[in-house]
Amino acid sequence: MPVIKLTSNTTLHYQEMNRGAAETIVLIHGMMSNLSVFYFNIAPMLAQRYHVVLYDLKGHGLSSKCTWGYHLQGMAADLIQLLDALHLRQVHVAGYSYGALIALQTAVSYPERIQQLVAIEAPDPFEQQTLARIDAYSKSALLEQIAAAGKAQGKPMSKRQLERNYNLYHFLLKQTTLQQDMLAEKDFMQQPGIDRLLHNTLLLYGTDSPCASTGKQLLRKIPNAQLAWLAGDHHIPVQQPFQVGSSINSFLQPRENRIHHFQPSATSIGVETPGWNLAM
Amino acid sequence: MDHLTPATRLSSDEIFVVLKQFITEVIGAEFADGLDISKDSTFTRDLEMDSIELVAFSEKVKQHFGTGIDFTGWLSNMDIDQLIALNLNNIIQYIQQCQ
Repeated sequence: MPVIKLTSNTTLHYQEMNRGAAETIVLIHGMMSNLSVFYFNIAPMLAQRYHVVLYDLKGHGLSSKCTWGYHLQGMAADLIQLLDALHLRQVHVAGYSYGALIALQTAVSYPERIQQLVAIEAPDPFEQQTLARIDAYSKSALLEQIAAAGKAQGKPMSKRQLERNYNLYHFLLKQTTLQQDMLAEKDFMQQPGIDRLLHNTLLLYGTDSPCASTGKQLLRKIPNAQLAWLAGDHHIPVQQPFQVGSSINSFLQPRENRIHHFQPSATSIGVETPGWNLAM
Repeated sequence: MDHLTPATRLSSDEIFVVLKQFITEVIGAEFADGLDISKDSTFTRDLEMDSIELVAFSEKVKQHFGTGIDFTGWLSNMDIDQLIALNLNNIIQYIQQCQ
């Protein structure tokens, strides 16, 4: 499996699709997850047009374990090292949940490396319950998977699968600096860099998401942002992968090919920009 | 087992042997030895593979069978329920269709 070695000696596992395409989009998964959240549906959709790079954050998936450096500056620096290793000067970036915060931080800290930005279900680290929500999110994602497996095959998740998930939780929450690193990000939304982001930015949220207010807050802060809603909650990449892929594809289209600004996908239920509201 | 693009049409059994080897490499021989891997085995329920292991398996299939099959593209049309229900026979049939 392809990996790059970071200066911290940690290795990052990555995958590429449609290498050689003119533009690249990098996909960043969320906490307690891995690149598979994009690999099976969203990435192949985007790869019809773009070079797609997916990677496992350190401590996640097939990347190596690391006990420190989970703050957003550190995670953004990891992403830049990945771009450098792949000789990618400038890319589009799309992140989900914690990955969306990493995408935003990377755009703030390294604006010249980012073309357009997609933040899917970015949470506000200031909210005291964010860590609990991340924990709950992952547990509920696990429960959803169990429910889906039960629905399809009449059996719950296997002991081995639960054990592997538990080991990941235990490592990241108990044996790394992740929790204190995230608590240190409580002022993330207030940093002046967010207000000065000039990238075209798509904010994508589920209509029933507990993070929806953060989407509206980011819409007010980021000058060139637009907020689109998909039916679902915090798990829209799992619940609506085809709609998420379609929305990103539509947003990234060259401006001359767009009819107006951003055309929501056929199944998305609405899009907002700071001054107006369409099809809600 | 890398980069062995078949010059001739492989039988169902021949493809199965290759896929079974890939599964063993992904989940480890120790765990695989305790499993009864058959063409009807589902990846999620029977083989107890999780999503990142499916990614690793998928990459091995792509690398082995080459550009003649669009394995990722084929998988991308499946929703989560279909992915969970995926078994070895589905993949064998897809590879045979592409040969």
